[in-house]
Amino acid sequence: MIKENCKLAIISIKANKMRAFLTMLGIIIGVCAVIAIMTVGNSMTADVQKQLEGFGVQNISIYVNPIDWNAELSDADMQNMQLKPEVLHRLSQKFEKKISGISVEANVDGGKVIRDGKTANVNVLGTSAGYYKANKVKLINGNSFNSYDYQQGNNVAIISDKFVEQLYGKEFAPENLLGKEIEINVWEQYLNVTVVGIYHYEESGSGRGGNKNITTNVYLPLKAAWNFTHNEEIYECTVVAAEGENATELSEEIKNYLTDAMANSLGDKFVVGAYSNQSMIEENTKTMNQMTMAISMIAAIALIVGGIGVMNIMTVSITERTREIGTRKALGAPDSMIMLQFISEAIIICLIGGIIGIVLGLILGNVAVHFMGYNPHVSIASIYMSVGFSMAIGVFFGYSPAKHAAKMNPIDALRYE
Amino acid sequence: MSNDILLQARGIKKSYYVGTPNELEILHGIDLDIRKGEFVSIVGQSGSGKSTLMNILGILDRQTAGQYILDGVDISKAPNKSLSYLRNKHIGFVFQTYNLIARTDAIANVEMPMLYAGVPEKKRRQRAIELLEMVGMGERMHHTPDELSGGQKQRVAIARAMANNPDIILADEPTGALDSKTGRLVMDIFHELHEKQGKTIVLITHSNELAAETPRIITISDGNIVSEKTNGGKGVA
Repeated sequence: MIKENCKLAIISIKANKMRAFLTMLGIIIGVCAVIAIMTVGNSMTADVQKQLEGFGVQNISIYVNPIDWNAELSDADMQNMQLKPEVLHRLSQKFEKKISGISVEANVDGGKVIRDGKTANVNVLGTSAGYYKANKVKLINGNSFNSYDYQQGNNVAIISDKFVEQLYGKEFAPENLLGKEIEINVWEQYLNVTVVGIYHYEESGSGRGGNKNITTNVYLPLKAAWNFTHNEEIYECTVVAAEGENATELSEEIKNYLTDAMANSLGDKFVVGAYSNQSMIEENTKTMNQMTMAISMIAAIALIVGGIGVMNIMTVSITERTREIGTRKALGAPDSMIMLQFISEAIIICLIGGIIGIVLGLILGNVAVHFMGYNPHVSIASIYMSVGFSMAIGVFFGYSPAKHAAKMNPIDALRYE
Repeated sequence: MSNDILLQARGIKKSYYVGTPNELEILHGIDLDIRKGEFVSIVGQSGSGKSTLMNILGILDRQTAGQYILDGVDISKAPNKSLSYLRNKHIGFVFQTYNLIARTDAIANVEMPMLYAGVPEKKRRQRAIELLEMVGMGERMHHTPDELSGGQKQRVAIARAMANNPDIILADEPTGALDSKTGRLVMDIFHELHEKQGKTIVLITHSNELAAETPRIITISDGNIVSEKTNGGKGVA
């Protein structure tokens, strides 16, 4: 029966191809919009998520911010705003069991290394041992710094494979640089460091364009950086929560602890902030979900308009085929069969429209994602949803015309001109 | 002539606009018996009520009053929902305007009543082929109605009417839209069905000439049966 009805529906759709296509258009546009937007949204969410997760879900970023961002700050204020190494040391003791490390970052500055007329731009960072827990630095050659390097502030460095490639070309094996000294020009001051490790430079998610001018990080032990700048400045501080700890809860505890510990220097001008990556991921997911919801509402309106188009065409089609309906009834078709026939037709129109819409939406979405520089991430759920939704539209908007057909009086229908 | 009464109508009345001041009685109490295997014509001018009578006999419509028993089933008492089933099982229609389903080939048209009767696909197809061959349309089974001439369409329609082997074939002016030559051909098929297969056929027509071909002629005028004769000239009314 289902098969017969589908056959009948396809015959009828084929007989009026143009009209069926125009009817489908509403559904096609609606579904296409949903799929395209969902694809873009999903790709964005997935990429942002991946980036945030790359920073580590257990990471808690610590900041000192002025209460009044417009206030002018004196040198003393600037000094007071600093996180102090001793405070962080006490923090690490106090929360010893709850954290797996503290990443402290000192920003030396951007610099360059020149060799044989080739230049590699670098950003020189001083790092504590915890930095390598908070950030994904994938060593491919050599070693990380040892505790002696950290304590003494030895002039040793970890550089990227990209940096090596920029200076020595692709053919050069990076490990040949291990133990060699390089000279970094930081604002015309020369920093000589011995290479102890090489890490793999990870292209960022939206990394397009040429790689000639990519600036990579050169890592030094924290103390070596401070020795070079003659300033114990902390550029960024991240606490890594121990495995199994709830980072969002811990961030609150750390914030309270630091607010107390730094009460004197904070005064009434500054506040301590501690934000866990986890809460940022949650926030991000929430925002994205809200966006998806809003867009889905718009798409739903488009689909309802499409559905009304289907209803309109079904009504026309049924009026045109009044005699056919009368004949079928005379031949013994029960009302339910007539109804099924026309609902099937509406469903098939919607389904074909839905499938065309999905294909177009995927193409459109992937093209858009490509140009926005994200990795495509298709939502399978949205495809199932669209198929289901277009079928539901067929049933919903096909019902009333089909019911009308089923209820026709066979004599009147047979006489209809 | 067998004594099996297949169709029994008693005091059939049909009115339109019932209960309004415009109430219009079309049939004034028709009594009619048709036996199994009869070939009967119902003749009348247009407006005589013969189409209304056909609709009631074909279970397309219900009488306002009276009793209609078909093959032992009291149609007047059957619930509305079962009417399509009763039509499907008992009645085969042949219309003046053929009423084949457009864009659907001859074989699918013939299969249609069997589809609604729930006959499995293979059996349906086989029976449709047999029937189309019987009416001489074996060569054109896969043609759609717009590729067939009037006479060919009517032959397909007759095959379709026979599909579920109904008790009665109701033919409403079956040659009305055909030229005399093809009309003759169609009439010959009815005679053949009657004589060789013993089908009960009710032919509704306005043409006395056509009616004269059938063994029994019932004349209807102004909603009453005015004369009834068997084709030997023996008046019964």
